[in-house]
Amino acid sequence: MKRAMKRDMELTIGHLYPDLLNLYGDRGNIACLMKRCMWRGIHARTIGFESEDEVDFSALDIVLLGGGSDREQMLVCEKLKKIRRDFQDYVEDNGVVLAVCGGYQLLGKYYKTKDGTIEGLDLVDIYTEQGEGRLIDNIILKSPLCEMPVVGFENHGGRTYIGKNRPFGKVLYGSGNDSESGCEGVLYKNVIGTYLHGPLLPKNPQICDHLIKKALERKYGSADLAPLDDRQEQEANTYMIKRLMR
Amino acid sequence: MDIRRILAVWTAKAACSICRHMGRQGVTWAGKLALAIYPPILRELAAEVRQKIFIVCGTNGKTTTNNLLCSALETEGVKVICNRTGSNMLNGVAAAFVLAAGMNGKIDADCACIEVDEASTRHIFPQFKPDHMVLTNLFRDQLDRYGEIDITMDILKGVMDSAPQMDVIVNGDDALSAYLATECKNPSVTYGISEPVADASDIQEIREGRFCKKCGARLSYRFYHYSQLGDYACPQCGFARPSIDYDAQNVQVGEQLSFRVGTEHIVANYRGFYNVYNILAAYAAADHAGFTLSHFNQMLKEFHPENGRMESFRIRDTAIVLNLAKNPAGFNQNISAVMTDTRPKDLVIVINDNEQDGTDISWLWDVDFDRFSGDEIHSITVSGIRCQDMRLRLKYADIPSILEADVESAIWGRVVDGCGNLYVLVNYTALFSTRNILKKLEGERS
Repeated sequence: MKRAMKRDMELTIGHLYPDLLNLYGDRGNIACLMKRCMWRGIHARTIGFESEDEVDFSALDIVLLGGGSDREQMLVCEKLKKIRRDFQDYVEDNGVVLAVCGGYQLLGKYYKTKDGTIEGLDLVDIYTEQGEGRLIDNIILKSPLCEMPVVGFENHGGRTYIGKNRPFGKVLYGSGNDSESGCEGVLYKNVIGTYLHGPLLPKNPQICDHLIKKALERKYGSADLAPLDDRQEQEANTYMIKRLMR
Repeated sequence: MDIRRILAVWTAKAACSICRHMGRQGVTWAGKLALAIYPPILRELAAEVRQKIFIVCGTNGKTTTNNLLCSALETEGVKVICNRTGSNMLNGVAAAFVLAAGMNGKIDADCACIEVDEASTRHIFPQFKPDHMVLTNLFRDQLDRYGEIDITMDILKGVMDSAPQMDVIVNGDDALSAYLATECKNPSVTYGISEPVADASDIQEIREGRFCKKCGARLSYRFYHYSQLGDYACPQCGFARPSIDYDAQNVQVGEQLSFRVGTEHIVANYRGFYNVYNILAAYAAADHAGFTLSHFNQMLKEFHPENGRMESFRIRDTAIVLNLAKNPAGFNQNISAVMTDTRPKDLVIVINDNEQDGTDISWLWDVDFDRFSGDEIHSITVSGIRCQDMRLRLKYADIPSILEADVESAIWGRVVDGCGNLYVLVNYTALFSTRNILKKLEGERS
């Protein structure tokens, strides 16, 4: 095991369709993944796949699917049909995925809006329907993936129903998937689907490390992440919790 | 005249002057009071404007463009009503008219130059129909308030359709604005910059609207100026950058700006490429509306922004420039402007997340702060309500920063212990309070 760690480790992050799905500081999630690898001596690179590019999932260790406007989501859903099969194999093979906002909705079977239904990737057994009004606010979760509460911002018109799947977290403040179930996001194998942006990862470094760890384990069989100095991350996280939970 | 109208004017004036004495702005409150006392007041006062009503809309550059336009007209002897402070929602717009009215409750003005928040156009247009509308650009801004840029465009289309006589002075370099102008039936004229400009650095920006609004295909660009502004064409449906009526040529950017439009050679002592658009838009609007602009350069020379748009202060031996930066496109342009000053400099960045700022601050991650990593950046202090997030943003660009939540302490710290050249970049709700702090320090300690 030790020898595996000594070897130069390398992760490749695939950012799907940044030309279409790039709302809400998705670049922050990438910067966070990249830096937290690099600070530990893990080589990291990001490949942005634009909507005409071929995606070779076998070369990817972490896949990021961001959010877009409804119109852009419509455009993207056409492209996604081409990659659906490969994406599904990747997910079933424990590939690591972070899907945010629109990306989260696209993981499911469909997103039913008042203007029509956007067919999803059907990678996870969930679906979304447009509700009355948008759910817009800061949000805090307790996630089984980490000790620190997860803080972020949500802004979505869709209500997502995750059936028997595990949620990404319990809502401590905010609305979550459907503003009723008290649940936010979805966990399936190594997939995290969530409405949280802010962006998600910088103020929730344990989630970022969870993704890195899962990706390393999948690729190298084990992962032992060196601790980083996360005081600034924790202070930013704690500030929001104190402000919202008093 | 309805006695309530006079009462509304008097009350608003009194309210505003009380607020000023207390060091608060009070403009929107004055407008709110006036509308509550006499609801038709905005409609009636606007109808008394003798010649033209201009409105300025668009994500960035509204205030500067509108104020330049107002000054350009005033320099030619035109009497203008203007919401100079940038209060651009219904109450602020009402206040501009009400506070300009005489004690007899009447307006004595040739023109009105009013900047209007895009979403608020819905509430303004039922009150009066402008003669001219300047549309500067459409970038992502405050997404939590407006939902998405598409929604903003729908709102604007709605009001443009409701005023078919109004002509639109549109930035042809912005595919979103240009599309909007072609979709509506309003007469339009365009302004733009037809050649790439040397100093408009190529940065990895998020570009809004890279896809054709008409057919969804990817737009192809001959070049970008910044963000999605540039020379575009759709390879599929033929939608393209329109021909440009007011074309800025031979644009020079640096310590000062200069360009030629038609036969006019324009020079301004401002930094920031984006100000070319602001000046050009003001020029185009006034010229198109038929005003002679024989003192335009003179006006630019004397134009001292007093609203935190590249506003200068001096405290002890420190020269300070205050500038508003409230969304990625604006912030990136600010960074470009700051970096044209090659001397060592300190920076204070103030980020709030109040309602008017947009409570979602994810946009900080779409700004190219990496460009602040050079040696000439002497220090960066992060301040304001969300200074923690700002510090984290810089950390992930490998840029260390000093955290000081209190804005006055942050600024004073740099005056005492800085390099004498300070830029203060603030987002919306931090602007007024920071400006007050700077004015106070300037008065007390110089």
